[in-house]
Amino acid sequence: MTPRLVLSQIKKSFGPLQVLHGVTLTVGAGEVHGLLGENGAGKSTLLNILSGVFRADAGRVEIDGQSRTITSPRDATEAGIAMIHQELQQVPELTVAQNMFLGASLRHTGGLFINRAAQEAEARRLLVALDPTIDVTAQIKTLRVAQRQIVEIAKALRAKARIIAMDEPTSSLTPKEFDRLVEVIRGLQAQGVSVIYVSHKMDEVYRVCQSATILRDGRLIGRVDLPQTPVETVIERMVGRELAHGVHHSFTRDRVVLETRGLTRGRTVQNASLTLREGEVLCIAGLVGSGRTELLRLIAGVDAADAGEVLVDGTAIAGGDPRRRIRAGLGLLPEERKRDGIIRHRPVTTNIALPAMRRFSRLGIIRRAALKARAEELMREVQLRPFDVSRPIGSFSGGNQQKAIIGRWLAADTRIFLFDEPTRGIDVGAKAEIYALIERLAKEGRSILVVSSELPEVIRLADRVLVMREGRIAAELTAGGITEENIARHAIPAA
Amino acid sequence: MTAPTRPAFLSRIRFRDAGTLLGLVLIAVVFSALTPVFLTTPNLMNILQQSAINACIALGMTLVIISGGIDLSVGPVAALSAVLGAAMMVAGVPVPLAVMAALAVGLGCGLFNGVLITWGGLQPFIVTLGGLSLFRAFALIYTGGTPIFGIPEGFRAFTNGTVAGVPNPVLIVVVLALVAWVVLNRTPLGEYMMAVGGNEEAARISGVPVRLTKLAAYMISGLMASVAAMILIGRLGAAEPTLGTLWELDAIAAAAIGGASLMGGRGSIMGTLIGCVILGALRNGLTLMNVQAFYQLLATGIIIIVAMLIDRATSGKQGG
Repeated sequence: MTPRLVLSQIKKSFGPLQVLHGVTLTVGAGEVHGLLGENGAGKSTLLNILSGVFRADAGRVEIDGQSRTITSPRDATEAGIAMIHQELQQVPELTVAQNMFLGASLRHTGGLFINRAAQEAEARRLLVALDPTIDVTAQIKTLRVAQRQIVEIAKALRAKARIIAMDEPTSSLTPKEFDRLVEVIRGLQAQGVSVIYVSHKMDEVYRVCQSATILRDGRLIGRVDLPQTPVETVIERMVGRELAHGVHHSFTRDRVVLETRGLTRGRTVQNASLTLREGEVLCIAGLVGSGRTELLRLIAGVDAADAGEVLVDGTAIAGGDPRRRIRAGLGLLPEERKRDGIIRHRPVTTNIALPAMRRFSRLGIIRRAALKARAEELMREVQLRPFDVSRPIGSFSGGNQQKAIIGRWLAADTRIFLFDEPTRGIDVGAKAEIYALIERLAKEGRSILVVSSELPEVIRLADRVLVMREGRIAAELTAGGITEENIARHAIPAA
Repeated sequence: MTAPTRPAFLSRIRFRDAGTLLGLVLIAVVFSALTPVFLTTPNLMNILQQSAINACIALGMTLVIISGGIDLSVGPVAALSAVLGAAMMVAGVPVPLAVMAALAVGLGCGLFNGVLITWGGLQPFIVTLGGLSLFRAFALIYTGGTPIFGIPEGFRAFTNGTVAGVPNPVLIVVVLALVAWVVLNRTPLGEYMMAVGGNEEAARISGVPVRLTKLAAYMISGLMASVAAMILIGRLGAAEPTLGTLWELDAIAAAAIGGASLMGGRGSIMGTLIGCVILGALRNGLTLMNVQAFYQLLATGIIIIVAMLIDRATSGKQGG
């Protein structure tokens, strides 16, 4: 049988930098195919070539045995290719139906007017099989992320897509929503639609995909059949080296450095009290939307609390302005690094210096040489790659941006690190480095609060776990009790 | 991985400034070919002299734009400080004191804008649009719409004077530009401005004093507007309440030609200065060629749009 899609010998360079060195990818009809590789391996570039955003320098695209030239997103749509981006590309103010027909609206009266009724009927017909609870006349912004994703899939089906590429579709889904997505993908498969599935989460890839292509540094490493190939082998081939298996070490000491009493903000965080000790790694688990990020922001002073207080070394520190909390030794490492973490056009040096500018200046003038030396020292320790602190931070991969932000707080002598999803969007190899860094911080006597949705990560890192549910701290788990089952049991609201 | 070790951001900014300079050279070459007078020392000094006022305003505007804002009120701020400063001089207040008071008026207007924008949480475009009317109204009401004459000769001699053939206003701008360059590129405040304009939320989380940074930018802009006003009333010998009309647009144009992004986070002092001279040279050259004023406007518009198109084409995929 001819495969649904064959990309062969795709090459692509940006300026002098070759990012794809003749990559080949084959996907059968009705197959769910994983595209695996670390960040920077060339996955996004390959998907962008497939969806017509970039043009390949060399190589062929065949769909159902026919050679195709794809030079624009429109060509891709016509060839039956749809792409579901990690950041969904929708207009929040428009309705579900309007979004599904963006750029391809149904008209009446000679094309002058949009036929809303017909659009809504068609949208409803497509959505019924995927998620009948979605109201096609609702504004997109009122939908949950998982539902918005379903709408994107329905839009792809509306355009008669035969190949749907999903770029990290589960990065903000709850486990239940993921189950639903798996059902939807199975449905697509049954209709003969091929799916290309990009994810860093191996358990998902093994559950969803029948086969996978592994890329590393823009080169094809191989194609594997999935249930047959052990996960260690796949990761090893992605990373090009064996990953040391993480064993948890505890460096907790007795002294309490941070305490919150009854922190409350609207309904998102209610009466949250916790303590954090010197050298301790305390993880906050829970579903997305259970108030974990909001709690971290309250502690960092980024948002103002309605009630409650934050004490550092037993002294209450006023909130509302992050600067006071920073001075007291706290530092927030936000989940959305691009949005909340980095100044992308500025070099790593100044991104590091922001909270501690006074330390790097004398008589009101920044001491560039001293700053550069300190930044290089810090970034050498965390192994920034490429090692060039004068490059704009936006040009680094997610993992290396995270290292720079860790460096930012190290430079400010931060003692209490508030990590929100420390490895979100970070590839497998860099993840292990971030874990090692967090462990090192704890070993040095710093205290760490980690919000994480990835249970293996929580188990790998935590000395102690708090589980949040619907804005409240629902449970505390200590050493022996930190298991996926226990966390899940406390995280999911009783129906 | 990429080119050898030169810091990418440095080479990028310098590259952009070199582009602006190239534009200026092109314009100069064209006018030198068309009219012999263009490339003479007196005429070049004349161009710099004529660009000085816009440069003053544009320096402040550049800092505001880099920090992610805009200041539409600079012209009326200049008018208000001009009439108040002139009135004091005419009333016999010692010139240095009157100048200081006029500069304080500029700072005060900047404070007004800045407080509404930061603590009031209002949008810079709207606040300074309000300021544009408000400050103009103050100037008109105070003077009853008539110019104030009788600026002291001593002050006039200073602003019309030269040092080694270079007009004093040009020297003032050079000094101010140096200060602005140091502030932007060598002080925490400059880093804060670029951080706040580049990503306000990230800057706040990193402990940047976001409000103070913005406030400083608007106050500097107000101050620069009153410096421009002082230069102008010294040269004219009178303070008109209607002076400074459309100055904000020239300043924004110069900053944009010089590479400032209206989205914030990026801009260059050198670029803005060259942008001012480009606009000045263009007007001067066209005047020398006896081109009607209507066409000068046309040429200005074309230059701005062409500069932006080149900008877009050369920094392509970076976007917004």
